Amino acid sequence: MPRVRLRLVLLVATFALLLIAIVNAQRSAIDTYAITNARIVPVSGATIDRGTVVIRNGLIDAVSTNVTAPPDARIIDGTGLTVYPGLIDSYTNLALPEAAASPSPGGGGGAIFFAAPQPRPAAGPNSSQPPGLQPEVMVEEIIRPGGTEIESSRNIGITTALTVPRTGIWMGQSALINLAGDTPQQMIVRSPVAMHVGFTPLRGGYPGSLMGVFASLRQMMLDAQRYRDSVQLYDRAPRGMRRPEVDRSLAALLPVLEGRMPVVMLANSEREIARALDLAAEFKLRLIIAGGRESDRLTDRLLKQNVPVLLSLNLPRRTTAAIPEADPEPLRVLRERVEAQQTAGKLAKAGVRFAFQSGSLTNISDLMVNVGRVIDNGLQSTDALRAFTIWPAQILGVENQLGSIEIGKIANLTVTRGDLFDRNSRVAHVFIDGRPVDLRPAAGGGPGRTSVSGQWSVNVNLGQGDTAITLNLQQEGDRLSGSITGPLGAGEISNASITTAGEVRFTVTLNVQGQTKEATFNGRLENNQIRGSVTIVGVAPGTFTATRAGQPN
Amino acid sequence: MKRFIARLLLTAIIGSLPLGAARAQRQAAPETLIRNATVLTVTRGTLQNTDVLLRNGKIAAIGRNLNAPANARIIDATGKYILPGIIDCHSHSMLDTINEGTLAVTSMVRTADVLNPTDADLYRELAGGVTTLNLLHGSANPIGGLNTVVKIKYGRPASEFIFPGAMPGIKFALGENVKRSSTPALPGVTRRYPSTRMGVEEVIRDAFTRARDYKRTWDEYRAASKNDKNLIPPRRDLQLEPLVEVLEGKRYVHAHCYIASEILMLINIADEFGFKVKTFQHVLEGYKVAKEIAAHGAGASIFADSWAYKIEAYDAIPYNAAIMTRAGVVVSMNSDSDERARRLNIEAAKAMHWGDLTEEQALRLVTINPAIQLGIQDRVGSIEVGKDADLAIWNGHPFSVYSRVDTTFVDGEVFFDRQQDLARRADLAKERTTLEQADPNKPAAQGQSPQRPRRTPRGHVDDDIEIEKP
Repeated sequence: MPRVRLRLVLLVATFALLLIAIVNAQRSAIDTYAITNARIVPVSGATIDRGTVVIRNGLIDAVSTNVTAPPDARIIDGTGLTVYPGLIDSYTNLALPEAAASPSPGGGGGAIFFAAPQPRPAAGPNSSQPPGLQPEVMVEEIIRPGGTEIESSRNIGITTALTVPRTGIWMGQSALINLAGDTPQQMIVRSPVAMHVGFTPLRGGYPGSLMGVFASLRQMMLDAQRYRDSVQLYDRAPRGMRRPEVDRSLAALLPVLEGRMPVVMLANSEREIARALDLAAEFKLRLIIAGGRESDRLTDRLLKQNVPVLLSLNLPRRTTAAIPEADPEPLRVLRERVEAQQTAGKLAKAGVRFAFQSGSLTNISDLMVNVGRVIDNGLQSTDALRAFTIWPAQILGVENQLGSIEIGKIANLTVTRGDLFDRNSRVAHVFIDGRPVDLRPAAGGGPGRTSVSGQWSVNVNLGQGDTAITLNLQQEGDRLSGSITGPLGAGEISNASITTAGEVRFTVTLNVQGQTKEATFNGRLENNQIRGSVTIVGVAPGTFTATRAGQPN
Repeated sequence: MKRFIARLLLTAIIGSLPLGAARAQRQAAPETLIRNATVLTVTRGTLQNTDVLLRNGKIAAIGRNLNAPANARIIDATGKYILPGIIDCHSHSMLDTINEGTLAVTSMVRTADVLNPTDADLYRELAGGVTTLNLLHGSANPIGGLNTVVKIKYGRPASEFIFPGAMPGIKFALGENVKRSSTPALPGVTRRYPSTRMGVEEVIRDAFTRARDYKRTWDEYRAASKNDKNLIPPRRDLQLEPLVEVLEGKRYVHAHCYIASEILMLINIADEFGFKVKTFQHVLEGYKVAKEIAAHGAGASIFADSWAYKIEAYDAIPYNAAIMTRAGVVVSMNSDSDERARRLNIEAAKAMHWGDLTEEQALRLVTINPAIQLGIQDRVGSIEVGKDADLAIWNGHPFSVYSRVDTTFVDGEVFFDRQQDLARRADLAKERTTLEQADPNKPAAQGQSPQRPRRTPRGHVDDDIEIEKP
């Protein structure tokens, strides 16, 4: 009897292995593609109005007007399509576990040092330092393939991303990853890329303030220099010398102090950037600024110290409307929002090297909208494309692998119908490491599916008659964003989603009985109406009915 | 000829650099002649109908009927007063963060790292005739962070605020803030040592003992390394280095304190380790130990009439300034508050009411005395030829509540001017209208005014507790 069972197990196992082999064989069978008759924007050279790109074995094999597709290639008709190098997002938390809400600069910026709860920093084993001060943390050890965030990024044409530990002072070391692959190993293009520094104080211990952050950064760099000297001396002649204690944290700082590894510091306001520049000058670090909202005010210093900027496209914007009697916003805040759109143009004009990054945008599809605003505010679209391709490749040290359509480079391609930065363009194909990637339905619902985007008149009944409020919804796939306004207050909705069955769900802060409360709306879309329940802790459950009021603004 | 061309090219290159251009522009700031003012020199009496000439950032001449140089800007100050720029010896303006309270000794942190040159309080302080600030770490711990002395050059990068040549300093603190009397004990949370005044003393003594050892270690290394090149230098300790500087007399101690016994305690520790306390800050019971403070050579930087806001502030009296002044202590009036800093002139005036100080003695409280306490008395604090042109023109005597500042100069440049401010308001209103129309400033939902950014009101002045700046 056991023997039979064993045989069965073996049989099943063999079958399974066979199946895997077949699947793998199928996958690797096609490794040659040709995109024909397409407009090609190689970035490194002149645009080819009608040409062919051949991809073989994960690399770009040929690019020209007169290439004929090889016989073994799968041909993709590129008529009406434009081929770009795959876009690079130069600062993300993609592929990292433990997603947590990150503060958005939407409201007005500033006060970053006192920001709301932060995710816990990644921690290394046997470190001499507390979590948050561990430069030895490497993102390559914690990344995981897959996930909706990666999909969303690919949907808008991003093929490669620098992924950075979420938080900390010495945050750790980043990796450049391709946004496809079944294993972390397949995804990594280069690791480590840079050391990352944030200036958020630790919670519950030293350093608990921005001043302390600077002091501990300094002290650790001084300690690392001494550690290097001690280890060198000991290695030369260990006899008669007490051995220096092994210290992974300090050892991890040596490439940084010796200028072999750049340091990316998070800095947005002029003074934050000036502080980062000062610290870098003090220790002769190879600095890269990430964020950079006001970097246009320090172009002289950036040029002088040869510091590039990973410029965030998470542009500050009024996200909430407030109570009617609120005081007007300070001019500084109003200026900041307008000027943030002009930074990229000014950097380009001044000749400061920069690359775009999504800067923890809550909705990645806003990225292209924001690029449009930046272009409207003085950045040439050719430079905008460079800031997504060759410039990040150069800044991150992978210009021989990525950033342009050139023979021998990694075949990361973004193919669009219409110009990339045109608001009506659509991403048609994305190739990563020479393979096409499945794209989800594009923003706005896609064909065969009702979109709930638009303005809705909502009647909310909390047991004391109807209250009319206005709801603005934007749908992207199964994700929703938007805002409400009316007698119950105004604000952005969050945790919003819609299922294929038409179940709509979101939470929003309401003013109920003189208090602000979190309300959860659960409804179902039917006949152009959303009906459902409103749940508020401490308040009797209510109902709501939403009817279409008009088109989205 | 070649050389000439090279030089020409060099000049062109330097001239084309924006930084160079800015610098050149600044040097070309016009000379200013202020005519016919009542000059409160502070150190040389009051001069009627006197002209003051400002050139290259300095006070170039003081006298009657001075000749106006060509191109000089001339200000008629008939009926007006000139007062040296007010010096606030205890401020936390323009600091993005004030306390590193996690440890009892945080001498490694520097206020210079967290300056915010865009803090609007700075402009308001200029409008109150203030030109110099002593930016201190808070009072959360016995030994706090390093201070920064700045000139208020509002609108310039933080690096241009730094007062060149001011003595470096450090904040100490004693008493209730340090032992956390007003911080509630949370279950399960270990309270930071120390919790008593005994503990405060022990922390300071321990820190200086360590600093003395540290200094010795380095001295020994320096001596030994002359013969042995293979020696590894001792670890640089950013916490102890400033304390070594205190021991060497290269760094001033500004000590927050309240009651007489703790003042004497710190004087004893200082004597034991051979350093000096430069100023006692707040020092509400200073009048009880004025002789001892004077004998130690320390100054006192105080409030005029602020008391009873906590137990250790119960014995305060408004005669503190007068009594200590008469005992020979160099006394200054400070603000410790972004709000009070705008009216330090009135704080000084109160000392004439409480305790009958003379006008000159009262003026000294916010000018030359704080300058002495910061080691910048050769540069600022009085109207004298050769001193920095840091001064303000007041439209009446600064000790009148009805007086206000017309113009404030720092290094001979105008950083506040009432007329300019009034003229600019229409432009700002116009700019606001334009900006509010701009797309990113439009409300997410129409028809409602935007939300005001949150600003937590500051706790009581003395507490130096952490605040959130917008």
